[in-house]
Amino acid sequence: MASVLDIGLLSLRHVTRKRLRFLLTVLGIAIGVAAVVGVVSLGEGVRTISLDMIKEQSDLSLVEVNADIRNGILIPITSQKIEEIRRDPHVRSIAPAVKQTYATERQTFISALNVEWPAADSVFSLVLLDGHAPASGAHEAVFGSDLAETLRRYEGIRIGDRFALLERGYAEDGRPADIRHEYILVGVLRERNDPLDTLMFTDSGAAGAPYDAIYCRITTPDQVFSFVERVDGLGLSSHGAFEQIRAVNRLFDVIVLVLSAFTGISLVIGGLMIMNTMIISVFERTREIGISMAIGASSRDVLGLILSECFVIGIIGGIVGNILGILFAGMINVVGRVFILEQLGPEFAGFAGADIIQITPFILGAGMVIAILLSLIAGVYPALKAARLHPADAIRWI
Amino acid sequence: MGVAEMKTVIETHHLTKKFHESFFALNDVSITIYEGEFVTVIGRSGSGKSTLLNIVGCLDQPSAGEVALNGSPVNYANAKQLVQLRRHTLGFVFQHFSLISSMTAQENIEYPLLFSGVSRSERRMRALAMLKQVGLADRATHLPGELSGGEQQRVAICRALISNPALILADEPTGNLDSTTSKGIVTLMQEINRDLGTTFLVVTHEASLWQDADRSIRLSDGRVIS
Repeated sequence: MASVLDIGLLSLRHVTRKRLRFLLTVLGIAIGVAAVVGVVSLGEGVRTISLDMIKEQSDLSLVEVNADIRNGILIPITSQKIEEIRRDPHVRSIAPAVKQTYATERQTFISALNVEWPAADSVFSLVLLDGHAPASGAHEAVFGSDLAETLRRYEGIRIGDRFALLERGYAEDGRPADIRHEYILVGVLRERNDPLDTLMFTDSGAAGAPYDAIYCRITTPDQVFSFVERVDGLGLSSHGAFEQIRAVNRLFDVIVLVLSAFTGISLVIGGLMIMNTMIISVFERTREIGISMAIGASSRDVLGLILSECFVIGIIGGIVGNILGILFAGMINVVGRVFILEQLGPEFAGFAGADIIQITPFILGAGMVIAILLSLIAGVYPALKAARLHPADAIRWI
Repeated sequence: MGVAEMKTVIETHHLTKKFHESFFALNDVSITIYEGEFVTVIGRSGSGKSTLLNIVGCLDQPSAGEVALNGSPVNYANAKQLVQLRRHTLGFVFQHFSLISSMTAQENIEYPLLFSGVSRSERRMRALAMLKQVGLADRATHLPGELSGGEQQRVAICRALISNPALILADEPTGNLDSTTSKGIVTLMQEINRDLGTTFLVVTHEASLWQDADRSIRLSDGRVIS
């Protein structure tokens, strides 16, 4: 059995014997690889920009855990589950909360979060612009900045004011029978530019259960997905900015896959070119193959020789394809960036200076693997044809 | 040494090769060739000379009959055995175009050793020694296209000898050469036969070859006639 190096060198010699044919065959596979590398690196680049934008604008390490319905059965947030979540190794702090919706007497609707203030502070890092935190068990409220501004402007509610809120309830006969609550506004939060700006915070004390939600601060954003899996194991559902990341990833997985499939057509053509080249090569070398068999090559050796020639074509095609792919992607980055960012809308304007392509070692590695695999697959038929040659007939071939 | 004590290299019994049911390329051929013999096979075109060579050389299989090489029967259904025989027991010299055009003279000679797993340095050493032996040391790096017909055939003989085979099968080795060059090739083969004791079975039209051979087998219509 010949050594791999010997066979490799011999194959290189054989495939480069007809230089123009070799160049065109390599180019066939290289163009396919370049198209895939270019398109995938563009997809990955836009994916990265989108994810960076989400990360920039969202609080990734905040997860809201809610009760869930599975197979028609409600799985509530129980104190045992709260403790399990609290003990999770990746959870820094949690704030179990009750969500409530009120209306003022002038019918301004308010979303309220009834939560222990120290717990909420540890999860949300709340900063008071004015006033103080609500006392536990007291009917005191703190407004988010937008809510405070709205109620100050339209209802004249300021810090220190007592105000009434109506909670929608129903009488025994089914008619609406609102329940009236009275609160004192004791503080206003500093503007955060997140949904908390529109919330009202109250702290009715630890006896707030049953809870509607548990707000969890995860140690690092990277640990969110594993935490979400564990929450799912408890039968509860999770929500947060991580869902956007998951959705964007899914979307780009599909986009990249579909685009790759389209560009893959050029790979198929490249593969057919290799098959054609190798069939012609085997035909032209019929006598040479016969002589090789006469002097000791087995059918397996012949199969290995032809396949290793395809392997050599695949390696060179992969290298050339990756180089062309990098150039192609660079061209998209320079020429197509303005157009693509325009299409993505003003939210992406901040990325005008960023690269819209992302070439990773994985993409280049995949390009090489695709080129080699495709070349080998394309070579199977010609290699089998060569290996099955009858030596006596092959030697007579001129 | 009497014939009875000589070791047989080729032994065929009732060897038959049929094409298309009715045409007999070989018909009941039984021959014995002993170690160290220089035997020629002569006959007109289509007499079955090359077919005999191909079957003895394990490149083709008989329709009927048996072949034994070096005293062991050849099982034509056993591809592994055929490959091993071609690698270690047999050497081939063909009429023309038998060198691989993209390989140098030295690479052509060492080519059979590639399949036997011989190391690169040993292959090179043995090929260069062979080239030196046939006076072509200075042509080692030349491609076949850069060699004369006689030089190409010397390289082909070196390639056939590189694995130290017991038997060399040559199909019209001088068929494509002028008379002077032919004489040189014939002399070279005879020297190898004499010095190394390698058995030769040579298909030829060349009178100088069969006249100087130990004996000749004459074929006609697939049968041994003398």
